[in-house]
Amino acid sequence: MVLEWTRPGLSSPLRPICDLRVLDHFIKEAWDAEAAMRACKDACSIATNFTVPLTRVDFDVWEAMNIEEKAQEVQSGLHVLNEAIGSLQASNQTDVLQSHVDASISNIASIRQVLRSVSIPEYVPPASGGEDEETQKVSSISELFQVHSNFLRGKVRHLLASAPVCKQGVS
Amino acid sequence: MTKMRSNRLKIIFMLCLACVTTGGQHFESKVAQLLQDETEHIKCFVEGKDLTCFWEEEEERNHLHNQYTFTYSYENKNKMACAVSSLSLLASNKTIFFCKLAKTPFFTTLHVQVHRDGQKLYTRSLNAENFLFLDPPRNLTVLSSGKEGQLNVSWLPPQLKYMDDSMIYEVRYAAEGSDLGKVEVIKVSTMLVLLGLESDTRYKVWVRVKPDGVAYKGYWSAWTEPVFGVTPPSDVDPLIVLLVLSIGLILCLLSLTVILSHQKFLLKKLWPDIPTPEHKFPGLFTVYKGDFKEWMSHNNGSMWGRSVHVYTEELPSPLEVLSEVSLTSHDTSHREEVKPAEEDEEKESERSDSGLTDRWPDPPHAHWLMDQLRALQENPESHSQSSLLQSHDTYVTLNQGDIEQQADDVFEETLPLQTLFSSAGTPSLSISHSDLGSLQQSSGSGRLSSQSSLEYPNHTWPPKGPGYAYMAVADSGVSMDYSPMSSSRIAELGRHRIYTNDYKNEIFPHKWPLSGQYIKSG
Repeated sequence: MVLEWTRPGLSSPLRPICDLRVLDHFIKEAWDAEAAMRACKDACSIATNFTVPLTRVDFDVWEAMNIEEKAQEVQSGLHVLNEAIGSLQASNQTDVLQSHVDASISNIASIRQVLRSVSIPEYVPPASGGEDEETQKVSSISELFQVHSNFLRGKVRHLLASAPVCKQGVS
Repeated sequence: MTKMRSNRLKIIFMLCLACVTTGGQHFESKVAQLLQDETEHIKCFVEGKDLTCFWEEEEERNHLHNQYTFTYSYENKNKMACAVSSLSLLASNKTIFFCKLAKTPFFTTLHVQVHRDGQKLYTRSLNAENFLFLDPPRNLTVLSSGKEGQLNVSWLPPQLKYMDDSMIYEVRYAAEGSDLGKVEVIKVSTMLVLLGLESDTRYKVWVRVKPDGVAYKGYWSAWTEPVFGVTPPSDVDPLIVLLVLSIGLILCLLSLTVILSHQKFLLKKLWPDIPTPEHKFPGLFTVYKGDFKEWMSHNNGSMWGRSVHVYTEELPSPLEVLSEVSLTSHDTSHREEVKPAEEDEEKESERSDSGLTDRWPDPPHAHWLMDQLRALQENPESHSQSSLLQSHDTYVTLNQGDIEQQADDVFEETLPLQTLFSSAGTPSLSISHSDLGSLQQSSGSGRLSSQSSLEYPNHTWPPKGPGYAYMAVADSGVSMDYSPMSSSRIAELGRHRIYTNDYKNEIFPHKWPLSGQYIKSG
């Protein structure tokens, strides 16, 4: 009888995670992965290229963007990055590389949860279906993880720092 | 129109000059520091939001800045050029060429190159967010917290957007005049409480800052100008002072109370009175100036009792032991003989070894004496001399006939005992009917201080002869004064013993009509 009364309902809204130390934890792990990939140049080399997001932040330009534009840029970049790093899971790589790959995939998922908690809009695929202009090509795993850490430290962090939900609590 | 343009250019130039001057102080110090610390040929740092890269002029080369070209690129884009400037460092007498990138791209890899006369001189790849060179913290303040050994240090972060929560600070402090200092590292917060400092000491404090290394990295900034602070002097907790004073006051009051309550006792112990005989000799020192003979002559009659009292007090009186009775060992051990030799010759037989004892015999002896006395009373003639003597072992009778002789022979000190005889010729032995009532009553008065064997029942001996008076000498260690005064003393003629205990006998004024007077009969 009790089970009949209970029904699956909507999930309760996530508590806003405005503390940047949470993101800093993921950033530190990205640093470690970048350092590890830089060390294994030969063992970690692959023959294919990776499409990765652009990581550059021009503060003048960035300050002029609204929250939706920033969110779209960050969400699409996380999507592209997740696909690029995820492509390494299928390849037969070393244990060190696999551990960093798995950690990075998990961290990207956690970052998406953090952005969802502060009401950042979800990723919307481009309608055109073409290649995103905000991407670039890299040819090594070390560059891939370098882009990974740069993206988290730059765009993702500044987006979280400027989230309206977090600024409301401060003001 | 041309004038307006020139004026505008002048204004812009002045503003730029001001900016350079303001930032120049920090810029030159940063350049100087990187010249020492950075090993790369192209030394770069971010000041504000702009990346500045510089390189040093080769020695003994006087190149012009327009001989150098600086280019940079990122994200596979085309190279972009940057204007090169020169700067002469007065402190180190060196010349540098530098380029300041406008709209520096962060979180991406920059590829920079230096060419001179078309030839590549230096290259370098770097991320701008990793080379922040912040300005020193602002408004450093050192204040006393009021607590011992503490100082409150506070400051403001350098003006930099987006990075307020990514900074780490280092606080250095040292006592003035001391080279030894300590360093404290603190993250994010812009205030610190220094602990464990010496009291009443002047301290110098410096602070510097750098990125925390998570989102941004960089170099330590220059130290701020030192700021001085003085720690408060050490002081005793006022509560402790108050408690100590209160306890001390309470102890003083208690001591005073004890001293005052035992004042007399303490005075006696610490400053005992020197006994003086003045009260015993009224007028001796005040009137007669210590002339005892004179005092005696003036006080002979009226003070006879006193003299008796005096004599009996200080000098042994002649006592004649009439009988000797061996009682217990306690008595026999304390036999003493009468002192005067003349009396001893005449009444030697009358002496009793136990007549004079040092102390009162025990009560069993008293019972024996009682029996003896009863027997004597019932049949006095049947009693032998010895029995009489036995019954007289505790008191002495003095023969009147001998009084005069005794008066001559006996020592002056024995005179007080020659007082109580009213009939002549009566053998002293017969004077056995001593009135023990006095003793009885005296003993019954309860005033005898020591144990007495003369605990007789109420019984009075009728005096056998008129006028005979007996002076009972109780060997009790009690000196009895037969003066009409309340005190009475009997001094035993012991070997060397004089009992001078005060004794108050209320009976004597009633029983004994005498008061230190001779009663002579016949």
